[in-house]
Amino acid sequence: MTTIESPHRVEDRISELYSMLDGHTLNGNSAALKNLRKKAIEAFAAQGLPTRKTEAWKYTPVEKKLSVDHTVYHENRPLPLSKEEAHAFLVPGIDAYLAVTVNGKYIAELSNIEGLPNGTVFTPIDQASGSLGDLLVSRLDTQSDSSKSPFVALNTAFLKDGLVLHVPAKVHVDKPIYVLHLFDTDAHTIVQPRMLCVAERESEVTLIEQYVSLNEASHFINVVSEWAVSQQATFKHYQIQDLNTASTAVFNQYAYQEQHSYFATHTSTLKGGLIRNNLEIVPDAEECESHLLGFLLGSGTMHVDNHTLVDHKKPNCFSNELYKNILDDQSTGVFNGKVFVHQDAQKINAYQSNKSITLTNKARMYSKPELEIYADDVRCSHGATTGQLDAEALFYLRSRGLSQKQARSILLKAFAHDVIDAIEFEPLRDYVDSRLLESL
Amino acid sequence: MSQSDTDFLQEVADSDYKYGFVTDIEADTVPKGLNEAVIRLISEKKEEPEWMLERRLKAFRHWLTLQEKDKYPRWAHIKYPDVDFQNISYYSAPNNKPKYESLDEVDPELLETFSKLGISLEEQKRLTGVAVDIVMDSVSVATTFSDQLAELGIIFCSFGEAVEKHPELIKKYMGSVVPYTDNFYACLNSAVFSDGSFCYIPKGVRCPMELSTYFRINEAGTGQFERTLIIAEEGSYVSYLEGCTAPMRDENQMHAAIVEIIAHKDAEVKYSTIQNWYPGNEEGKGGIYNFVTKRGICAGDNAKISWTQLETGSAITWKYPSVILKGDHSVGEFYSVAFTKGKQQADTGTKMIHLGKNTRSTIISKGISAGNSQNSYRGLVKVNAKAEGARNFSQCDSMLLGDRCGAHTFPYLEIENPTAQVEHEATTSKVGEDQIFYCNQRGIGEEEAIKLIVNGFCKDILAKLPMEFAIEAQKLLAIELEGSVG
Repeated sequence: MTTIESPHRVEDRISELYSMLDGHTLNGNSAALKNLRKKAIEAFAAQGLPTRKTEAWKYTPVEKKLSVDHTVYHENRPLPLSKEEAHAFLVPGIDAYLAVTVNGKYIAELSNIEGLPNGTVFTPIDQASGSLGDLLVSRLDTQSDSSKSPFVALNTAFLKDGLVLHVPAKVHVDKPIYVLHLFDTDAHTIVQPRMLCVAERESEVTLIEQYVSLNEASHFINVVSEWAVSQQATFKHYQIQDLNTASTAVFNQYAYQEQHSYFATHTSTLKGGLIRNNLEIVPDAEECESHLLGFLLGSGTMHVDNHTLVDHKKPNCFSNELYKNILDDQSTGVFNGKVFVHQDAQKINAYQSNKSITLTNKARMYSKPELEIYADDVRCSHGATTGQLDAEALFYLRSRGLSQKQARSILLKAFAHDVIDAIEFEPLRDYVDSRLLESL
Repeated sequence: MSQSDTDFLQEVADSDYKYGFVTDIEADTVPKGLNEAVIRLISEKKEEPEWMLERRLKAFRHWLTLQEKDKYPRWAHIKYPDVDFQNISYYSAPNNKPKYESLDEVDPELLETFSKLGISLEEQKRLTGVAVDIVMDSVSVATTFSDQLAELGIIFCSFGEAVEKHPELIKKYMGSVVPYTDNFYACLNSAVFSDGSFCYIPKGVRCPMELSTYFRINEAGTGQFERTLIIAEEGSYVSYLEGCTAPMRDENQMHAAIVEIIAHKDAEVKYSTIQNWYPGNEEGKGGIYNFVTKRGICAGDNAKISWTQLETGSAITWKYPSVILKGDHSVGEFYSVAFTKGKQQADTGTKMIHLGKNTRSTIISKGISAGNSQNSYRGLVKVNAKAEGARNFSQCDSMLLGDRCGAHTFPYLEIENPTAQVEHEATTSKVGEDQIFYCNQRGIGEEEAIKLIVNGFCKDILAKLPMEFAIEAQKLLAIELEGSVG
């Protein structure tokens, strides 16, 4: 009789890695953090990874992207690039406080966050000290919830290098905070950036994030971001996803809004392998305003899944959602947006729109705009369209002497116009625009 | 829901006991429970041929594999206790014993509802189960109709009769659109179906009448596991009506029906449903669970299938009339009004599967929820990679009457061909205060105003129903609305 080693499940492999790393590489954190991690790994084991049969992951076979050969990034590699090389990735012309991370770890020598306004703290989580540090650690995983998402649990279980941003009451951060996330790993490596942002009462801050692969390795990026927007605060978020085609990325982003707050997030997905954006916004008080926008430029075999939830718990709020996709080659777009209006959350105005253009026979679009409404005095609408470039419009332009290519790019630019123009920063807007034109 | 309305429903619910509903415990009822012996018994009682029994057993064996928890369909936005499938009697022959001796014994409020709906006296008697000499009457009418139909070569009979007389058609088409492996309830139905209707329209024939008339007279009490099969040969046309506006009571809590439609080249089938089964009492107890699988296939080019439905009854409605658009240039339509109140839950919608070139589909769904009810639209539009030039338009509007009900929309759009044009839009709102104000100004009371507005909201759909049905449907909606507002 021969004994064959029983084939591992990915979940078991992850638990093994946890036991291996906890107490060694992950050491040095507070007891509170250690406790959080322990709970998270238990939650992860309890849930397991989603499969094709999990309704929320129906169109995105993420489980195929994780194998027993995967490891969680924990080593400290030497810096793969110089400051100049790193800064070459930046969108030119943005005046900002700059932070650079490599594989989720903040690298001070590549960054420049000097001069942040008084009291604003922006630091790696293990360096947040004193009562503020304790406060921030205590707020980790309160918007996200390890018991509800295996990916949040996975991130939290190995939490070490996260960043925290704390903007005190009434402080207006004068320039945007720009975080450049770089990834440089071997194949089959799970990298897990983490960020917690707390904008206190009446404060105002803009965060720009850019995710870039430095090599072509098949990294598995699992991001968790939590944004708490207090009363009358304004929080604006822009992100650019520009990863390699072998990569897999799961973005788990959570916003929590208090009274009279303003929150906006804008995602431009320009390149990548398989990307899943989980975005949850909870306007948990009256008079909140929320904006969710997304632009997807699909090419090659990219598979991008935008999964959003706006959870209106309280009355008198406004939310607006707009996702536009251009799908070329064999790319696949998935949109699953949900607006949930709780009982007694009256006078909600919620809008949701998903528009897609497929350019080839191999491109796919799966759209599922959902409304779940338990209050009667609301105005909620959603719309979804999928189509191709209008042949008549193309002909019109061609008949006026434009080339096929020019005509196409005019029409596609017009299609993406409203969602790209929603970017307030001109340099960022121009950058996304130029990437669109480049791709045509 | 107003007091009088619930009282009425309560009485309807109670009346079964009050007058002593007769269940025939003679040879024609199979004991509760489900196993191979029961299936064999059902088949035997129906005097079915061997091949039909084989089909039933095949479905049953598959159903047994679906018993694990995760295979039981739980995805719909409805809540109900687990159904004990062993606590159901799967066969009882149509019961001809009268429940009442004369109309005077029938609940006067029920009769009032009938007269509001404009249902003829004869039919009132039939619906309430009064023993009168209607047999003669309906037989003569039915015979006239069937002569007329037979002349044209149209076959319209019960499913059981079709199995006996037209086995080649049944063998060919039964389960071709909804195979027994399709879903849990379809599988259950395939194993235990009681009876149903069969309709065959030969090539080039335009059925001269709405098949409802016949149906309403001839086909009452087909049981809880109905099966309908409609075949429209090349170039034919038929309009088929199911159900009626009168409140239907039934001792069976669980209904799982299957409807299959096959439309060949250039054929058109129009299927209209009005469903008004008992929705349960105030707490939602005792209402009917309605789990239906309805699907049509446009098998040939230029075929057209159109579903129109008005759903006002049942405690739970789980129903997705679908069209597979296989033939080039074929057309699928779905028009639906779903009205829920009290504790009713409806999860209904459609699937439009575009396979052929230049196929078109239209989905218009109007949901109205009142009381503590939950009303969901769930629909799929799938455009296959080879479906060049497919076109879909979907519109799902919800209206909320009251702040304790819910309206939900779960549309799935799966597009795999770039030439497809797919549009979906949905809105959720309540009756506008300004609209009511406008009516009030003109001397129209609030309740009338709401009836007016809701009727306007559904007008497009109700207009799709065959004429006499449309008028009944409007009245039904008005009755349903009574007292459910304010």
